[in-house]
Amino acid sequence: MQEFSKVYLDFNATTPLAERVRKKLTETLSVWGNPSSIHWAGREIKQKLREARQNIALATGAGPLELVFTSGASESNNTVIQGLFAMMKANELPSAYQGRDEFITTEVEHPSVTKTFQLIEAAGAKVHRIKIDRDGVFDLEAFTAALGPRTLLVSTMFANNETGNLLPLAEIVARAKAAGALVHTDAVQALGKARLHLNELGVDYASLSAHKFHALKGTGLLFVKRGSPYRPLIVGGAQERHRRGGTENTLGQIAFGEAVKDLVRLDAEVPRVRELRDHMEARILHEIPQVTRTGAGSCRLNNTSSLVLKGVDGETLLMSLDLKGFAVSTGAACSSGSPEPSPVLLAMGLSRAEAQNSLRVSLGWTTTRAEVDAFVDTLKEVVCHLRNVALAAQGPVALATQGTVALATQGTVALATQGPVALTTQEAVALATQRTVAAETQGGPSSSASAQGVS
Amino acid sequence: MSKGRVLVAMSGGVDSSVAASLLVDQGYEVIGATMQVWDYSGCDIEEGNGTCCSSLDVDDARSVADHLGIPFYVLNCETQFKEAVIDPFVQGYLAGRTPLPCVNCNTFLKFDHLVRKMKELECDFLATGHYAQIQTNAKGEPELVTSEDSWKDQTYFLFTLEKELLPKLLFPVGGMNKPEVRRYAEERGLVVARKKDSTGICFVGDQGYGNFIATQVSGATIRGLRGELRRYPTGEIMGRHEGIHHYTYGQSKGLGLDHHEKMFVLKIDADTKTVWIGEEKHLFRSRLEIERAHWLQDIEDGETLNVKIRYQHRGSPGRVIKGAGGEFAIEFIEPQRAITPGQAAVIYRGRALVGGGWIRA
Repeated sequence: MQEFSKVYLDFNATTPLAERVRKKLTETLSVWGNPSSIHWAGREIKQKLREARQNIALATGAGPLELVFTSGASESNNTVIQGLFAMMKANELPSAYQGRDEFITTEVEHPSVTKTFQLIEAAGAKVHRIKIDRDGVFDLEAFTAALGPRTLLVSTMFANNETGNLLPLAEIVARAKAAGALVHTDAVQALGKARLHLNELGVDYASLSAHKFHALKGTGLLFVKRGSPYRPLIVGGAQERHRRGGTENTLGQIAFGEAVKDLVRLDAEVPRVRELRDHMEARILHEIPQVTRTGAGSCRLNNTSSLVLKGVDGETLLMSLDLKGFAVSTGAACSSGSPEPSPVLLAMGLSRAEAQNSLRVSLGWTTTRAEVDAFVDTLKEVVCHLRNVALAAQGPVALATQGTVALATQGTVALATQGPVALTTQEAVALATQRTVAAETQGGPSSSASAQGVS
Repeated sequence: MSKGRVLVAMSGGVDSSVAASLLVDQGYEVIGATMQVWDYSGCDIEEGNGTCCSSLDVDDARSVADHLGIPFYVLNCETQFKEAVIDPFVQGYLAGRTPLPCVNCNTFLKFDHLVRKMKELECDFLATGHYAQIQTNAKGEPELVTSEDSWKDQTYFLFTLEKELLPKLLFPVGGMNKPEVRRYAEERGLVVARKKDSTGICFVGDQGYGNFIATQVSGATIRGLRGELRRYPTGEIMGRHEGIHHYTYGQSKGLGLDHHEKMFVLKIDADTKTVWIGEEKHLFRSRLEIERAHWLQDIEDGETLNVKIRYQHRGSPGRVIKGAGGEFAIEFIEPQRAITPGQAAVIYRGRALVGGGWIRA
């Protein structure tokens, strides 16, 4: 029988529409005016956009006029980086930033940042890229060394979409500001996972995306702190106070404005999801041999788990899990379809094999403990099966010497003790250590079953 | 109750689309997969002109899978394809042979990589849109036999299949002819029903072999392939050519000769880069030698069997003679035209495929 229940654990890719957003949209579908029109049809929709902007400003610690609606975070990222570079080239920067011509970013950004920097680099910009290691630690020393009186813009993400690692943004902003540089953060992974107050954060620019928090795709935001230099990427009509031309994506903006109302539940949801994630990781590390976590040595978002399952091809694992109803990811959603393993994981120092054996699980506000447990049970089965197939594919020699026992006992234990390839002492120690950690985590205060009681 | 889970290799063409559809109708649990074997980002293929593995075809395969309501995956096989198919193809041309890349694709991708995926995805069977059949013989063993549509039969490309794999394979269109396949596709509402058959080699496209080879190796290598056109048997130099990779045995067009009599390529000598040309009668030979032979059934030494020396060849009876070191020779009753190194000699007993090997000389 085919499994019909579906479990979604890919919230870093996108999120389901919130119920309140669905209702709001249904009401709003009949409001169709052009917000730029001065007549009744325009006024009606204009008022709804104003409300949406107000809601988002309130929820993110921004002034309403500091928000520029865009088609998504990719556009927001392009706007900031390309805009500043263009102003620099045209000598249009305010005097405080004149003479500054260097950019600093990280090696683990989203492609809409990485590729935009490649673009301006090809046009002559000097770009420094700061490393983040496999534990998720940002090289603050290298960052400080790169920072100087010529730094125009620092652009670092708020949290990494693949590993969930949080960048030390407060520290980055403090140092960048001391050096007189502008700061941008791609904060798409922040909404619903961490407290976000844009003005307190002290950045000049921040990019947000509506569909990452239960609203519609095709709607993004660019926060531009009052007074920070700005040049539009898309020119046209006077929309967004001349900062982004084009008739507004009215439904998208209204949906976004409705979705953020749920952020009042943030303080309850963040620890609840964190507990689920920790419970899931503890079970995986305890029950599935030869699994490591990427970025776990540093601060992470509450919902993300980036795993390396030794000897298990991520692409195949994804298909197997999909066939059983579980939606997870090997890395960023936009990189799937390309044969190359995740550039982010490679940049963090993982080998190609490790990156190809990686799995990203990202939980969300609608995730339940039962879903997480069902996922771990299935993952265990699938990983065991895939390792057995790999073992059999090694041929009769491997089977004769190692495999028979493993196959006979259906994997997990046999694989742990004998391995698809016998474990080296080092690996055995690592495995033992993992287990201890896992056991501690499980036994610790964070793994109480009471999480189920939190709605 | 499902008849089992099947992984279907879907190219986006009508045959594999119908194969998937038939399996769904027959009550199997079907999973579709397309192998992304080549980076087409540099290509600009117009709609409708796609060959068997372009990315527009991936879209077609996806549409069909969606229409059938089955899961569908794109498998990235670019590295394996490059190593197992493209590189040997290029090396073959450089060595004066006329390679047959489809067999390598079957050997190393469809019936190796996909077999692995079949096991990993807990499938019971692997299916493709090949025109071929698996039937149980008198001894109760499965054997690979030619398709009902003898004109479309593709068993020639399947001679490297492992015998042990046969019980796991399904060729759903093997019992149909092409018009039936198209009619079925129409009736079932498949978007690919009227799509043109793919012709030629999928990754070469319209640019031609010569240009394709030139994109894969250095300019110096290409220049090193130039040489003389000589007439057989006199040895007379008839002209110079732009590279042995532009020629195949039996070719008569594009020789660039201003000569009243029709000439044919008789032999390509990769050592001296000489292309030998001459009268058609010199193209006929009675003997060929094969290497890397692969057998699905036992043969008797000296047994007379039907042998196909290229895909379009009807097959001709010849004695299969065991040589030293696992090599085989075939002695045809009737001399055969243009026995071409790099192509396969595939051997049949009646309609059953017995085995085959690569023509060495």
